[in-house]
Amino acid sequence: MSDTITVEELAELMKKAAGVTVAPEQLKQKYDSGFDTLGVDSLGLLGIVGELENRYGTPMPPDAERSKTPRVFLDQVNSALLAGA
Amino acid sequence: MSEPLPRRVAVTGIGVVAPNGNGTDAFWKSTEAGISVLDRITREGCAHLPLRVAGEVRDFAAESAVEERYLVQTDRFTHFALAAADRALDDAGLGRAYTEAAPFSVGVVTAAGSGGGEFGQRELQQLWGKGSRFVGPYQSIAWFYAASTGQISIRRGFKGPCGVVASDEAGGLDALAHAKRAVCRGTDAVVAGSTEAPLAPYSMVCQLGYPELSTETDPARAYRPFTEAACGFVPAEGGAMLVVEGERSARERGVEVRAWLAGHAATFTGAGRWEQSRDGLAHAIRGALAEADCAPEEIDVVFADALGVPDADRAEALAIADALGGHGRRVPVTAPKTGIGRGYGAAPVLDVAAAVLALQHGVIPPTPNVFDICHDLDLVTERARAAEPRTALVLSRGLMGSNSALVLRHGATKIP
Repeated sequence: MSDTITVEELAELMKKAAGVTVAPEQLKQKYDSGFDTLGVDSLGLLGIVGELENRYGTPMPPDAERSKTPRVFLDQVNSALLAGA
Repeated sequence: MSEPLPRRVAVTGIGVVAPNGNGTDAFWKSTEAGISVLDRITREGCAHLPLRVAGEVRDFAAESAVEERYLVQTDRFTHFALAAADRALDDAGLGRAYTEAAPFSVGVVTAAGSGGGEFGQRELQQLWGKGSRFVGPYQSIAWFYAASTGQISIRRGFKGPCGVVASDEAGGLDALAHAKRAVCRGTDAVVAGSTEAPLAPYSMVCQLGYPELSTETDPARAYRPFTEAACGFVPAEGGAMLVVEGERSARERGVEVRAWLAGHAATFTGAGRWEQSRDGLAHAIRGALAEADCAPEEIDVVFADALGVPDADRAEALAIADALGGHGRRVPVTAPKTGIGRGYGAAPVLDVAAAVLALQHGVIPPTPNVFDICHDLDLVTERARAAEPRTALVLSRGLMGSNSALVLRHGATKIP
């Protein structure tokens, strides 16, 4: 596990927590697409946040689960990891 | 808005996922042949429990039937429901193009008994094993009884009236009646039915509290209603979904009316009060006949509740005689569920599917595993009986006290 969450890890989490399969390369192209267009709804995102918190042992910011796009989400969670490190 | 509301409501589609058939054709073939698929339970974590025999669905690949993003957030009982709903809609010729153009014209009603026990058990194990942080967010929606209605509606974009009925086994019939009422109020079609998945450790432990449950280990002897040796019922998983549609909509779309939902009634007599269920069931039969404008002698076949407990069997046989008079002792009675298991809310919906198929094929399926009966009923056993049934009566009683009856008429029946 690296100390920042990569797009590869996000793709893995989307499959595990929300059952949505998207290749990391494709996800990079959809950085600014809405999670809903990718098939991840609000409960799915909540599941991803929960899984990250358990993996890294650090709380994520409350706004993380309200992120509209992968870019916003990764910015939020990686800032939190950096701060907590 | 100025169209008259429908007076007649039909079954235009059937979708089945059953222990004796993954699909309607396979289901009917096994049902007509009187094949019993009751067997020892093979589910992990269940071998030490006293419930040994059930009807398992062994050839259903959820990943082929349902998209992964729905699979992760649902229990097996909803996987069955999503697959059965797809099949019913295909059977009725209600494709996505049609329903996406008119989303408010289709609703969903399901009946649920045991809910998402397997999913819930997994999350509860996380809770008590690791802590609350390890419980996933889908626990909030996956195990509760309305999950199937919600997910069918979401997945297919059905924005018409939706609901869920929780009245145990009888709920399967009540959900169809609920669907019929929605159609009579102006909805074109309602996907209605029930699927259950009670064969996981937590769900099975919940059932062990029912004194009516059979703990017999021999599948051929575990579930034999109406016999001297009756020792209770065994459960099943799976179920059926139907498309319930108004006459006008069916005619406009040019689809076949498979049968008419002619009448229904429900009563309540209290949990496990089998002697009292006699009156309750007789009352429900009379109410259903009245709504169907059907005389007792017009009933050509009865699909029995067939609980398999002597008091309950006696009450049912007497209720049939009370409500149908002399005809009650002569009318063919059958209970295909003795070869499948009694799948809680799904059981009477599978009975309705079998009844519609019996009306269409002119054949009454038999009651597997049952031979000499000790009640004054003409129970069809051993093999199917050729007949030309025009009208069927389906009965269902809930362990917690509900009694329901449904009358179906052959699709070719003319308006009087």
